[in-house]
Amino acid sequence: MTNSFALDWYFIALILFIGLYCMLVSRSLLRQLIGLEIMSKAGLLAVISSGALTSNLSLAQAVIITMIVIEVVVVAAGLALLAKNFRINKSVDIWNLKGLKG
Amino acid sequence: MERGLLAYILIPLLSAIVIPFAARNKPRIADIIANVTLLAGLANMAYLLLNPSNIAESFSNIPGDGFSLLMVFTIYLVALCVVFFSAFFAGPMANRQAYFCLMLISVAAMCGVVTTSDFFTLYIYIEVLAVTSFALITTDDTSAGLEGAIKYFLLTFPASVSIIVGLSLLLLSVGGFSFENVKMFMSAGSPDGAALFGIGLILLGFLIKAGVAPFHAWVPDAYQGSFAPVSTHLAGIVTKISGIYAIIRISMLMRFSEGEAQALAGTLMFLGMLSIAVGAIAALRQKDLKRMLAFSSISQLGYIVLAAGLGTPLALIAAIFHLFNHATFKTVLFLNSASLEKAAGTTDMDKMGGLEHAMPWTSWTSVIALLSTAGIPPLSGFWSKLLIIVALWAGGAKVYALLALLFSIVTLAYFMVMQKKIFFGKKSAAAGISEVSAPMLAPVVLMSAVIVAVGLLFPYFYAYLVETIAKRMIL
Amino acid sequence: MTYHTLLFLLTTICAAGAVMAGDLLIGAIMLALVSIGTSLILFDFMAPLAAVFELSVCAGLITVLFVGAVSLVRQSEDADARGRVKFLVLPLAAAGAAIILWFTLPGFFETLITGGTVSTAGQDPIGITLWTARRPDLLGQIAMLAAGVFVIKSIFPRRNK
Repeated sequence: MTNSFALDWYFIALILFIGLYCMLVSRSLLRQLIGLEIMSKAGLLAVISSGALTSNLSLAQAVIITMIVIEVVVVAAGLALLAKNFRINKSVDIWNLKGLKG
Repeated sequence: MERGLLAYILIPLLSAIVIPFAARNKPRIADIIANVTLLAGLANMAYLLLNPSNIAESFSNIPGDGFSLLMVFTIYLVALCVVFFSAFFAGPMANRQAYFCLMLISVAAMCGVVTTSDFFTLYIYIEVLAVTSFALITTDDTSAGLEGAIKYFLLTFPASVSIIVGLSLLLLSVGGFSFENVKMFMSAGSPDGAALFGIGLILLGFLIKAGVAPFHAWVPDAYQGSFAPVSTHLAGIVTKISGIYAIIRISMLMRFSEGEAQALAGTLMFLGMLSIAVGAIAALRQKDLKRMLAFSSISQLGYIVLAAGLGTPLALIAAIFHLFNHATFKTVLFLNSASLEKAAGTTDMDKMGGLEHAMPWTSWTSVIALLSTAGIPPLSGFWSKLLIIVALWAGGAKVYALLALLFSIVTLAYFMVMQKKIFFGKKSAAAGISEVSAPMLAPVVLMSAVIVAVGLLFPYFYAYLVETIAKRMIL
Repeated sequence: MTYHTLLFLLTTICAAGAVMAGDLLIGAIMLALVSIGTSLILFDFMAPLAAVFELSVCAGLITVLFVGAVSLVRQSEDADARGRVKFLVLPLAAAGAAIILWFTLPGFFETLITGGTVSTAGQDPIGITLWTARRPDLLGQIAMLAAGVFVIKSIFPRRNK
């Protein structure tokens, strides 16, 4: 397993970049959430990859289960926020959020 | 985790779960349960910390980690003030029960953050805190609150990903997440590239969560848009615990003062100074009171980050002391801005004026808090700023010490402008405005008393910091 | 090893597809594919419990939530659909990043393999680890779930009338 470690991290960095790009250019809140999901997948893969390299798999696995629980609550809360925003402002475009300035 | 401190997490959590059942028919019961829970925790902690026999036994009767205990005390103090205030701040509140439940869970999560001794557990509680706080920001259902919450959401969760990637590098090079592992790793010799890179990513995440410049874009919007008591909660304690606490911890564990991680420490100090400057200069030209206070908060955070980056024992205890003081005076200022919002109906400073006679208590507690922020003796803020500047000078960062002193004067300037615009000056706008009710003044007066008392009893607090933090944890 | 790398490659391509998709629904489904790819990678790393969690929760539950949200907002005009150029630029940007990373990252991480600290502690089964070493995390999970419940309750209050 260890000899593909560097290649794994290469792909992890690439997935992280794709997620970040999505969050940087999107205007729709839903697409921002998709970018966030992709980024957190990359984080998850990073943890399991280091756990496997240091033969610390059970710790990595325990950590990942907790991370998945967190991810679900965060995404559910984000979607709830989106739904509320849609109900109040009738839009999911974050560029329309310009009420606060100074 | 300290076994004895577990109760400070569990009890608010249980109260939060009980509230929906107990207060189904009478919403007032929710207020009472929340207040009683926090008051009990505060009384317990105050008994532990302020016991007169502490001095005689040179604090040997205080168990474990003095930093955690002080932070738990601060969390309960600020949260009690906010919860008590919001019980009487009869604003538009969509769901009263859920508000108090979220407040209690946020307290539980903050206690989890400060009592844990493991980076991954710290991360979990910080996520809990972030989720509760953006729900709290939208409490009053306005579109400004929603905007603040969305901006907070979109900046804070990418920061979490950065923390996770950093943690996985830490797992790789250190072999675990706990503070003990990191301490052993550091005592074995200079850290290698992977560990430094991992810690750097973790620090980046916490800097974004704390709102240090140049990552401060979300702070003014979130503070200005949120429900008024919630902005006190956010500014007073939440962003400090979710960002600054971990930065100070990392500075302790990584021994920044010994030059082991020179690049990280230098960057941290530079960002701290940048934050002081950006916050102070932006605060000078704000029209909205809450927005100005938010920039002032960024500026004060800069002092803490600057001291944490230096990392000598004196700098660290100064940073912790300033963290505590910042919580007290920002609570007073933000609660006063909430009172003004309720009494005058606006937070635009140009539309107010001459409120000194209409609202004397609010005016004078603001004066105490702002003098403390600007560092006027003998108030508490003076001592912590003095300690920071002395530590910087002694640590060889003389340019930073002078600049910190200079911006302390700018702080005084913008607060004087604020006080003049709102409370002094022309009385025309003050017609028909009267002081808010006594229960809403009580938390503010309590906090002002704390500011004065900490300033006058400074030797006691200094002894506490030296005995329980500097001697036990750093040396 | 080839299978392993292929899984990573497919997951990356699905992630790019999820970002570039013109229709949000296709984006959500591509996201589910990313989750499935991640889950297969976890199986390959011999972390079956985490993989099952990932498969059921992320690929299942989160996709359902996303599809629900997509159907809610679908009727509003999608501003991103008009300015699609920036999404079509993604392959170029990703390819640029890929080339730059190719020359820097693998070398950096090759050096880490030798520097890694291999844990000396015996390999307990996952359940034991979760219960003995990570007990504070379980409390954190409970707090997180409670927070989630109250967040939903606070964002969608019960109507008075």
